[in-house]
Amino acid sequence: MTGSSIGIEIEGVTHGYTPRSGKPTVALDNISLSIRPNEFHALLGPSGCGKSTLLFLIGGFQKIQQGRIRTARGDVTAPGPDRGIVFQNFALFPWKTVIENVRYGLEKKGLKGSEAEARAKHYIDLVHLTGFERSYPAQLSGGMQQRAAIARTLAIDPDILLMDEPFGALDAQTRRIMQEELLAIWRRTSKTVVFVTHDVAEAVFLADTISVMSARPGRIKRLVQAEFNRSDDPHIHKSPAFADMVEQVWDMVRDEVDQARMQGH
Amino acid sequence: MATLLRYTPLLIVALLWELISRSGLVSQQMLPAFSDVLRTLVELAQSGDLLSNAVASLGRALLGFGLAVVLGGALGAAMALIPFVYRGIDPIVQIFYPLPKSALIPLVLVWFGLGDKSKMFLVFLGCLQPMILATFNGLRGVDTILGWSARSLGASRLEVVREVLFPAALPQLMTGLRTALAFMFLLMVSSELVIATNGLGYLIGSFGDQGSYREMFATILVVTGLGFAADRAFLAWSGHLLRWRP
Amino acid sequence: MMRLLARLSPIVVLLAVWEGAALLHLVKPFLLPAPHVVAGRIWKDVISGQFEMNAALTLYRALIGFAMACLIGVPAGILIASDRFVRWFAEPLVSVGFPMPKIAFLPVFMLWFGVYDVSKIVMVCFAAVFAVVAAAEAGTRGVDKFMLWSARAMGAGRYQLFREVILPAAMPQFLTGMQIALPVSLITAVAAEMLMGGAGLGGAMLAAGNYADSPGVFSGIVQTSVVGLVAVAGMTALRRRLLRWHPEFNPR
Repeated sequence: MTGSSIGIEIEGVTHGYTPRSGKPTVALDNISLSIRPNEFHALLGPSGCGKSTLLFLIGGFQKIQQGRIRTARGDVTAPGPDRGIVFQNFALFPWKTVIENVRYGLEKKGLKGSEAEARAKHYIDLVHLTGFERSYPAQLSGGMQQRAAIARTLAIDPDILLMDEPFGALDAQTRRIMQEELLAIWRRTSKTVVFVTHDVAEAVFLADTISVMSARPGRIKRLVQAEFNRSDDPHIHKSPAFADMVEQVWDMVRDEVDQARMQGH
Repeated sequence: MATLLRYTPLLIVALLWELISRSGLVSQQMLPAFSDVLRTLVELAQSGDLLSNAVASLGRALLGFGLAVVLGGALGAAMALIPFVYRGIDPIVQIFYPLPKSALIPLVLVWFGLGDKSKMFLVFLGCLQPMILATFNGLRGVDTILGWSARSLGASRLEVVREVLFPAALPQLMTGLRTALAFMFLLMVSSELVIATNGLGYLIGSFGDQGSYREMFATILVVTGLGFAADRAFLAWSGHLLRWRP
Repeated sequence: MMRLLARLSPIVVLLAVWEGAALLHLVKPFLLPAPHVVAGRIWKDVISGQFEMNAALTLYRALIGFAMACLIGVPAGILIASDRFVRWFAEPLVSVGFPMPKIAFLPVFMLWFGVYDVSKIVMVCFAAVFAVVAAAEAGTRGVDKFMLWSARAMGAGRYQLFREVILPAAMPQFLTGMQIALPVSLITAVAAEMLMGGAGLGGAMLAAGNYADSPGVFSGIVQTSVVGLVAVAGMTALRRRLLRWHPEFNPR
């Protein structure tokens, strides 16, 4: 834990782009958001609302055009190992085995030999991939590939974990298991998580706070406190409170989905 | 055993060749019997003519090929990574794209005459383009998020190029190399047929002119075998390098 | 328009440097004749009808051979993909034929078919056919089996399956094979003409080379490039026409 009082501070971020053929589009319009340390924060909205763009800006992958993003380590200007990221399509290095993938970030930190090996092994065990260390990503199922990607990101011990629809490519059963495991890991490691999704139930199940975003231009429409993630009840999914919350958030999202559909998404 | 079964069709073709020739359906001039061609091949090999000409051919061709791989790879990489270089070189690569490479034979004849240099340069020019294109397209085609992943794991920009872009572009690079290798053999033989004083292509042409058809067929067999062996060896090597692929 | 000019600027610069070097006598005109000399030569060939005749001859040989390669190669590829026995027989032949420098057979074809057009055309066909076969086989094998199943479920027979499902579904790959084979056809036609002499772009260029007529060599290269460009552009247009329905030409 950093002990600092800020997790992520987003101040007045506006971001636009011009597609090859078309008129300039405002993807994010004057976004301000304050995320506490150790908070599990979900960005929820229809496709095209700019939620992934916001995540990539926090990651430092794209240049901030207007506004400011700060973390406990100062202004975000470039990618760094303090902000680990997990992508929807895993982005594992296909020419490296699982353990080589996990070791990659550790070696960049200066860890070598048996130390890196042991640390990588620990995180592979953590995501239940024991026995698949020497497999290439192409030999694994989607769920296993995503476990490997998560292990690779957790191994460098980032303050902040950025996740871009990480379970979007997985089947329903695997997704549920992965959600529960992610929560378990998050509770143990207490990281700040920013989790992009368009699945309402997923956001409600995982997040402390949900930013419900509007379609183009991307704005934060509502902030919702969910906090079912603090519960120990394994059947929290079935509780009336949970169902009510999903229904309530879904109503907020529905208008946006309709609007997005009219804009041709 | 499996390999033998796999290549049985080649034996069948050889047998048919032998039968057609022996049966007198076509004259022995037009199609010398396979067994005679094989015997001639052994004689040619023993005389040392085959080896000296093969060395001459392959020596200059491989030099031109190697030069094209190094320079073409470097140019393609520079084009993919530096926008300025791309803007400067791409139009020039594009206008040479539709040029049938064999049209350069008279050019290297004028520039370098009949010696080794002309064939070496021709192979170099012919292999340059597939190498530039494969390197460029390979590096350009790498998924952006792979680079992002590496950056967020602590890699520098240079490390991303070396440790992510190049391995990710390897499949395309290998395809380009294989194309260049085929071009190498094609240009080697065609230039030697037209402008040369030695080499396997020259040997085929001059045996044909002299009416020594057995020798001509024997040399063609050698060239075919070389092309096949090179391609198989290349495929085995590339399969090993790309063993991570599904 | 401006963008096109900006894109072409490196070529203009190259030509200007070349012309400048020739004007200042930095290179021997024999090794590198000035662009205006080469342009003059091309113009002369166009006026006299020399270019048109040579280009037509070369294109005729290349395109007939190419068409034969497609007519043989596509059905052969489909057959190899769909019949196990044919595949067993043809696979080793293709794996030997594919990487071999086919031009080495030119003296054989001269021996069999004489020194006129037939041997050149057969040579072109032989050189081009392997690329077509390989692409057609890969294309046929790659047809989505669910697509085949659903067509069968709707009652398509063997012939209909071929005509209405396999042919269109594998068309992109067939065309890719042809797009590889077309430049090969031109390369081979030009090389065959050089070896056998006589009319055609290759023969004319080699004659120029043998007489140390370097403007003739350079104008020949440009002329051959133009012919290549026209052929490649025609093939691209054909692809665009045949694949109107394909995502390739309907970006989202």
